Order: sequence, then structure tokens, then C-alpha cells
Amino acid sequence: MSAVKFTRKQFESFVSALIQSGRPVMAPQAKNGRYAFGPLAAAEEFRLDYDVTILPPKKYLLPQTETLLTYQVGGACSSVRDAEPMILLGVHPYDMVAINQMDELFRQDQYDKHYMDRRCRTTIIALDVVTPSENVFAASMGTATVKSGYDILLTVLPDGSILADAATDKGQELLDPAESTPAAEADLKARKTVWDKNEKALNKHVLECKPSYLPKLLENAYDHPVWEEKARLCYSCGSCNQVCPTCYCFDVQDQVSWDLKTGERKRCWDGCLLENFATVAGNHNFRKDRAARYRHRLYRKGKYVPGKIGGQIACVGCGRCITACTAKIANPVEVYNRLMEDTELG
Amino acid sequence: MTKPRVAIFDFACCEGCQLQIVNLEEEILDLIGAVDVVEWREAMSEQSHEYDIAIIEGSITRPEDEKRLQIIRSRAKLLIALGACATIGGVNKLKNNFDLKEVRQCVYGKDADMPHLNTAMTKAVDEVVQVDAYIHGCPIDRKEFGLVIRALLLGKKPPIPDYPVCVECKAKENVCRYEYGEICLGPIIRAGCGARCPSNGFRCFGCRGYVDNPNVEAAREVMDKYGLTVEDLKQKMVLFGSKQEHTL
Repeated sequence: MSAVKFTRKQFESFVSALIQSGRPVMAPQAKNGRYAFGPLAAAEEFRLDYDVTILPPKKYLLPQTETLLTYQVGGACSSVRDAEPMILLGVHPYDMVAINQMDELFRQDQYDKHYMDRRCRTTIIALDVVTPSENVFAASMGTATVKSGYDILLTVLPDGSILADAATDKGQELLDPAESTPAAEADLKARKTVWDKNEKALNKHVLECKPSYLPKLLENAYDHPVWEEKARLCYSCGSCNQVCPTCYCFDVQDQVSWDLKTGERKRCWDGCLLENFATVAGNHNFRKDRAARYRHRLYRKGKYVPGKIGGQIACVGCGRCITACTAKIANPVEVYNRLMEDTELG
Repeated sequence: MTKPRVAIFDFACCEGCQLQIVNLEEEILDLIGAVDVVEWREAMSEQSHEYDIAIIEGSITRPEDEKRLQIIRSRAKLLIALGACATIGGVNKLKNNFDLKEVRQCVYGKDADMPHLNTAMTKAVDEVVQVDAYIHGCPIDRKEFGLVIRALLLGKKPPIPDYPVCVECKAKENVCRYEYGEICLGPIIRAGCGARCPSNGFRCFGCRGYVDNPNVEAAREVMDKYGLTVEDLKQKMVLFGSKQEHTL
């Protein structure tokens, strides 16, 4: 593996070649004053300087709605496996970390073929952040930079050139035919300055403890008043769940066709803040209160999911929930810091 | 197995929701493959007093309409409210904000005293008879109509969302109307429309009615955060939310 350097012009040719390779290239583009991942039609539409996208790129690996299987009522069913190769271009480090966590979660226990099929066919070209978003706190969560998961890592250097570092054969094969120059020692040093800068700059909300402390912090916080205080204003709209790169809960519904003999089983995103997230057969809802649902999300991020993935904290500090929450109550840093103030760690 | 007999009736409405059923176009063949439509004034001339499922479009605004609806209810095993006028009273409830005499005068002028125009306060269908299933919206969503009917035919609970429009709006990656400093009813209104209005540059108008448990208390304080007032919000609720529960 080797790192190369692109001029802007060379980089555009590289991206054009990706588009022409026939695989769909999904990349951040401007959308109504914000940014969103979408199919890239032309290299110049790709925004290297985007701050954050409205939804994370998880939407390509775990689509909002997907058909899991088709069935005959009372008869046979067959799994739908329709994953196609694709390139995710411009994935920020915090989103890359989130994808790495999802990979681990969907691999363990019941291996999720539908997610993993897509993941295995996806090439990821990550990109170090150029413009910090208004609510990012990746530096607090240790996700301002990323060391694994991608096939290529792009970094825009202070002189405007773009360093591309292949981490896998898949990535190397994409870089090989592109016109570029080999990266020099000085370029790698320049990249280090970008990383150092991002470790400080991506911290609009400062978590006052190490993220690894959160599971312990939450052990004694179940009955803290903060849950009621915050949840009082919660619309239960699930916006925080929808925009979160590490929320992966889904609902499964059967949709029968008009002949009432065949149907499709679909899964779609769900959210633990929604009123009926925990409603089960017989109409029993075991998380009826807003506060209980509000608390659950913060416990998922800080304690429950970390317990499944070797202690990694399932909040990557993208700050999307802070922006998306209409009531402005979703900021995890505010809650965790508040608990830090009040909770004895024993 | 005989196919269930379905009758479609309209009360005070624009009949746009029935039109949405007509607009199923080719899918309508699937619908009549699954059920026997025995009465549907908008699309056929036959009539029948014998049916299993009654689909009611429109709100109830006259005493004689209440009686007609009760008779329909007594004949049907299952009664479905179709569209905002039927499910929540819809735009017709606007008039409940005013003196009925003035309303009649304003709308019908010199004919205001004609006996057939002697309308009462607007009621949603479930304010008169028991409703078994709701198909929300102004107009209804054709796809959702199919999902609800098919679920009912299988004896299953219809998949009607009880979460706010924000869920579908976020999924579409719309920029929140509040970020533009506008009021949107999305956070307290039932989804299922695919956030159609916000996705086309408007706010949510609230045509599907409140979610079952809207946080109206939050709405008051949240308006403060955006430099808006609850009066602003109430104004936006008038069109579809007049004289409904959960009033702000």
C-alpha cells in the first residue's frame, strides 16, 4: 500500500474515473444549504469541504426500508439478496467509526446477511474533515480521525492538494491507474498537522470525561432527575434516532399483495424515542414514559452497546442529533456532563 | 370463500379521497379482485343495503346525516373512516370556531334559511358512530389505502403510524422548517404521508391529525426557543386542528 498526492485537477479526474467505473458513487453534495449523501453524477458536485450530512451514510448499508424476503401466505419464503457494488466517497472519520461499529454488531450473534452483503460489496473512501460542523464533538469521543475500516483515506493538505492513502487492495486498485505523484515525507507530516488540528477543532461541545468512563458513569445514574427534566420537552419524534450513525434498530412488517396469497417482509428504521418502539403483542408498552425512552437512548450509546463491542462508545460525536432535535434537548454531552457533576463514581 | 362486500359512502367533503381510490387506476382491478364493491356513488350506479365493510368519506354536519351514518353502521361489520374530513373532521371543522348562524349567512347569503342548509357543528365520523379503522390524510395516500384494506382483509391490525411526521421528514433528508425559522406542525402530527408537504417546500399543515399522545406542553416552550409564540402555532393549527382534542 502506498500514499499518493493529487492536485485538484488530478483529483477531479480520479473522481470522474470512479463515476465511469459503473458502480454508483455516493458522495456528499449540497442540498438546500446543507449537505446530503447522494448518487454522484459529476466530479465537481462532490463537496470536499462539507461539514456534516443530514443523514449519515448508514442509509446505504442499512436502507430506511428494505425487503428481507418474499413469502406465500402459509407457504414457502425466499430471502431477497440484492446488494450491488457501490462506492461511498467522502465518509468522515466519525461516520467511519460508526460503520466499523455497525459491522461488528451485524456480524455478531445472528450474522445479518442483508447488511453484510452490502457492506462487503461497498468500497469506502474516507475523508478527513475540512470544515467542522456547528455541533461536532468527535474530538471528545476520540473519533476526529480514524485508522481503519476504509479502503482509501483522503486528506486535504494545507496547500490544497489531496493526499490519498490506500489501506486495502481494493483501494490500491482504484489509485493505481490514476495520475498522481507519490506522497513525500513532507506530505505525511502535513497530514499529521491536519489530524492534530482536527483533534482540537472538532470539539464544539466538550465532554468532561474520557468516553471510556461513560459505562461506569451510567451505572449510578438510572434514577437521576436529568431524564425527566430533558424528556419533559421531548416530542418523541425520533429525529435523534433517525440522524444517528450508530442507531441501527429496525421494525419488521409484512406487506401482503392484493391477491392476499403472496407478500414481502420488509424492515425499516425504528427509533427508541418513538412512543410505540417498545409496544409488543397485546398492546403492552414496556417503555411508555418519555423519560424512560429518553434515558434509553443515552444508555444505549454509553453503556448497553459498548457492552457488545468491547467497550467502544456508541456515540461518535457527529452532533447530528443536537442539530436535528427541534426541542434542543438531545445533546449527549450536556447530559453526560450533568451526570459527571452529580453522580458519585464510587 | 365469498369476497367481502364493500360500500363506499360520502358525507360533507370534496370527494377527493374517493378520487384517490379511483386514481389507483390499474390497481383498482386488484381491489375489485379482493372485494366486491356493492355501492360507490362516485364510480358506479348500483346500490345495496347489504355490505360487510363500509368506507365513510366526509364529516358529519347535519342531523339527518347522523341518522344515515347510524344506519350504515348498523349494517356494516367493519367501518372505515376515509380521509381527514372523516377521521378528524378536517377543514369542515373550521366553522366550529364561529357562530353557526353567521356561518350560514356568510356562505349561503339569501338562502341561509333554507331547511336543507340547516347544518350543525361539524363532527368527525367517530363522534357519531364507532370507527374500526382510519385512513388519514387530505387527501389519503393511495398506497396506504391499499395497505390498510389488505391488512383488514387478513384480519390484521392496519399499519397506521403513531409517530410524528418528523420521522418521515428526516428520512427524506429535508432541512427542518424550524431551521428556516418557520413553524411546522410535523412534531405533533401523525406520519404516513411520507412528509409530502415539507419535502415540497411547505410546512406540515396537520391534515392527518395529532399523534395519539402529542407533547403539546413541549410545543409551548419550544416555540420560545425559536422566538415564536404559541399563538403563532395555534394559528397554524386552525385549518385542520380546529376543536379537536389536545388543543394547544
